[in-house]
Amino acid sequence: MFRVMLYSQWKWCRLIVVLGSVAGFALPLVSVQGAARADSSPLQAGELLQAVQSWGTLYPVLAAALGLLVAIATWAPDHRGRHVHALSLPVPRWRYVLLRFGAGATLLAAPVIAVTAGALLAAWGATIPAGLQGYPVALAIRFALAVLVAYAVFFAVSAGTARTAGIILGLIGGVILVQIIAGVANIDLDLFGRLQVVVLNWPGPLAIFSGRWMLIDV
Amino acid sequence: MSNAIEIHQLHYRAGRTFEIKDLDLSVPAGAIYGFLGPNGSGKTTTIRLALGLLRPLAGRITVLGDTIPENAPHVLARVGFVPEQPHLDPVLTVRETLRFQAAFYPAWDWPWAERLLRQFELQEQQPFGRLSKGQKGKLMMLLALAQRPELLVLDEPTDGLDPVVRRDVLSALLDYVSQRRATVFISSHLVHELERFCDWIGVMDNGRLITAVPMERFKNGVKRLRISDAPPTPDSPPFVLLAREPANGTTETWLVRDWEPQMTRYFESIGAAVNDVIDLDLEEGFVELLRTFRSPRS
Repeated sequence: MFRVMLYSQWKWCRLIVVLGSVAGFALPLVSVQGAARADSSPLQAGELLQAVQSWGTLYPVLAAALGLLVAIATWAPDHRGRHVHALSLPVPRWRYVLLRFGAGATLLAAPVIAVTAGALLAAWGATIPAGLQGYPVALAIRFALAVLVAYAVFFAVSAGTARTAGIILGLIGGVILVQIIAGVANIDLDLFGRLQVVVLNWPGPLAIFSGRWMLIDV
Repeated sequence: MSNAIEIHQLHYRAGRTFEIKDLDLSVPAGAIYGFLGPNGSGKTTTIRLALGLLRPLAGRITVLGDTIPENAPHVLARVGFVPEQPHLDPVLTVRETLRFQAAFYPAWDWPWAERLLRQFELQEQQPFGRLSKGQKGKLMMLLALAQRPELLVLDEPTDGLDPVVRRDVLSALLDYVSQRRATVFISSHLVHELERFCDWIGVMDNGRLITAVPMERFKNGVKRLRISDAPPTPDSPPFVLLAREPANGTTETWLVRDWEPQMTRYFESIGAAVNDVIDLDLEEGFVELLRTFRSPRS
């Protein structure tokens, strides 16, 4: 069962997975491009860290994008068929959902492996100034976790109906409305700031996406 | 197990306007049960409830001896289902769709599937999304048959298909039924199609089952009578009077159900006479039944 599910999802996700893998492999290499040049002197440590950090902002973006797109593609065939085929198959619903989730997660292993390979190659080939170190494995593990978190969140959201999407959008709209009203009424209320703290700071569910993503660091 | 499907006191509501209330339905094992009704009468909803795709508000459903929705996976492994709309993954080819389906059904019969594939002249490498309506209908029937089901639930399987494809699909179905003695529960609003091969008939309208009888009884029991000198209020007739309309003079036309030839004696006892007994085909009977159900007194 898992094999046919994986194949079905591969047909829907292959472009996303291939492009994501290429981007994932290229990103670490590009981030240390200056340090890897053999014909020029190594960049100063500060400049290198700055370059690595600015490229590093793309890792969580790539992880979130991959999670989102693969999650949407995972449910696409079922949404198209109004879930009739899925519901008429002789498997419990929870098992079907697990099969879908597992197949999508397996496909996401490709970009994670690509980031790992790219990071290892970049760290091996770069001329790293004294006092700095490469962290390719840590970066790859963090990327894998971020991809998995993004995929799980968007998988759960995509599994829902238009009504679920409406509820989520309604909640976001409600927060925006309250913030606007508070601003107009001169009430000291920073909902977005609080939400950001709750969601993006440790131990928030999306804390993995925040902070610095450094292939090379002190 | 005398009934393949048993529905008792089923209650379901969809939105504010549509409701299935207190539905009782039994499909005898081994029967080809035609489930008739106009569009929007509740046929598809009843089928989805029977297969556990929808959850009822109340009532009890038993399919092949197991309760639904609790044992839906176990039941669905023994049921071939052809839904009203093609619902399969549009990017998978015909061959890939077969492989996908085979992985889920323990009784999948590859040689039979290959035979049907050739018989239906389906191109293996064609994606499902690019098949014509007729090809999709054939593939859906192939998938339902190749899993060797004990019960086939077909929701308007030939709707919109051309006569040639319709004949191919139905003949494959009848071949299978004759080999396996499977039960078939087939919904349609194409009455004349069901007339040819169904042995039971159930008629649904507005979320209610109007009638459920053996086909022969339905066809032979619904008659149009020409009656002379009928009293204004007939006293407890032995048949069901569905409608009566004045014809000319003292003659009236009665539409009756559960008619038997010896019932002409009843008219003699009330001082009336039967001038003519006119047979109705299934379609006429169905239309008249719906008409009288919707406006009970004519």
